Amino acid sequence: MAELGLKLAFSVAQIAVVMGIVMLTVMFLTLAERKVLGWMQDRMGPMEVGPYGVLQPIADGLKLFFKEDIVPAGANKFLFSLAPILALVPALIGFAVIPFGPNQTVELFGRQFQPFVISDINIGILYILAFTSIGAYGIILGGWASNSKYSLLGGLRSAAQVISYELNVGLAIVGVLLLAGSLSLVKITEAQAGGFWHWYIFAFPFPQIFAFVVYVISAVAETNRVPFDLPEAESELVAGFFTEYSGMRFAFFFLAEYANMILVSCIAAALFLGGWNAPYPGTLLPENLAWVEGIVWFAAKVYFFLFLFFWLRATLPRLRYDQLMRFGWKVMLPIALGNILVTAIAAYLFPKG
Amino acid sequence: MRTKFTAWLKTIIFYEILIGMKATIKHLWHYRPITLQYPHEKRTLPDSYRGMLSLLRYDDGTEKCVGCDLCEAACPSRVIKVVSAEVPGEPTKRYAKEYYMDMTRCLFCGLCVDACPVDALGMTREYEWAVYDKRLLRLNKQQLLAIGDRSYPVREKRLELQHPNVAFFNVAFQHVPPKQT
Repeated sequence: MAELGLKLAFSVAQIAVVMGIVMLTVMFLTLAERKVLGWMQDRMGPMEVGPYGVLQPIADGLKLFFKEDIVPAGANKFLFSLAPILALVPALIGFAVIPFGPNQTVELFGRQFQPFVISDINIGILYILAFTSIGAYGIILGGWASNSKYSLLGGLRSAAQVISYELNVGLAIVGVLLLAGSLSLVKITEAQAGGFWHWYIFAFPFPQIFAFVVYVISAVAETNRVPFDLPEAESELVAGFFTEYSGMRFAFFFLAEYANMILVSCIAAALFLGGWNAPYPGTLLPENLAWVEGIVWFAAKVYFFLFLFFWLRATLPRLRYDQLMRFGWKVMLPIALGNILVTAIAAYLFPKG
Repeated sequence: MRTKFTAWLKTIIFYEILIGMKATIKHLWHYRPITLQYPHEKRTLPDSYRGMLSLLRYDDGTEKCVGCDLCEAACPSRVIKVVSAEVPGEPTKRYAKEYYMDMTRCLFCGLCVDACPVDALGMTREYEWAVYDKRLLRLNKQQLLAIGDRSYPVREKRLELQHPNVAFFNVAFQHVPPKQT
């Protein structure tokens, strides 16, 4: 019993820490996005709340928290309330299998536990793919339950888009899985240790650079970000699937979008850019501090992707719907399939020693 | 053949998108915002700025307006309403007994200022006239005179004391030196 309690306490503590970090990152991202976007457009971004507007996320959060929670007339109340939760939970649940730092076990209170990954399950990446697909339900149900034409159109667009690009994400990942021979994110990351030429984007039998490009583009599309933000196209659909949402339910969708951004960035960093591994062999810091270096490298890679998201948003206009579909099915899909073929042949010819 | 290959190569490496991203990162790198934090810092207005309208006085404090209604006639938006009356005890002189401006309709064209034969109207450099109640923008004579008082501290002499030509066409003959008294 005490054993179980201790295990539970560890898990809860780990989950709390990871959730806290993710939420803080989301808060930081909302500010960073507006700032970076402003700077790229010769503006200043938020400047009023706090010095240089650094307290803006807190002000936004407080505002959203105290806003009236409106359920539109004719809405399906149950699904309307369920949708934001259904969008947020899958986005957060994926972080359970992300390895944030080196895979090492620490002995604490007579128990072995891994501090930098909540649970190292052997089908980690499959688990994430499965749950991010559920996130699409939140968007579709939210759009449908609102009883509004804009929401419904946004939800439908989102459904089509997420299905199309989810496929590309899955197929782009397959190349890496073939090379690593595992679905566990920890094992995949460990296989890329020892310098940037071991990262799967540059790895020896067949560099996964094409898969990487396909993955990044599909990830942008999957998180409904510019230039693939058709489900929430401001100029066409008011706000898309969350047009009718207000207060904390709107905040849930908002959190879900940013948590999804962080999640896909984490996956991209773990699968293609070697996760916590530094671009040079070994570590610079002494053995007992190596985990600091690992976490810093992981964070740097994740933030690079997040910056890329902002950068793309500042640069690109929105795609037309048929362009989106054509690009997904006629360009991305064949590249991903071809990548699988070539990678499979390469992995067969040069099996891991 | 070669150009076709270059075009293909440009397509697969997203050449145009990279050009665009270079442009945005250049602006991030050379960060020079053109934003003005408005309530804290304000633009310098041009000299010919046409702001809030006002009624003016002579240097002895009497109102310039003679109640001729020309501003009301000139106004394209029917902002101005003048109620003209004789000056008590002086049958040859008139003045504006009441003077209203509905600033919700004003488009700040300045035609009333041009139309005024005695320069009784002036455009100030005030522009922060946002109010919560629309009715507060219907100004009466006292309010307009107050705006003129705070915006034009230097006042002209009475018409009778100016050069006769200037007195008649106050605007057109400003280069004529005033009569020495």
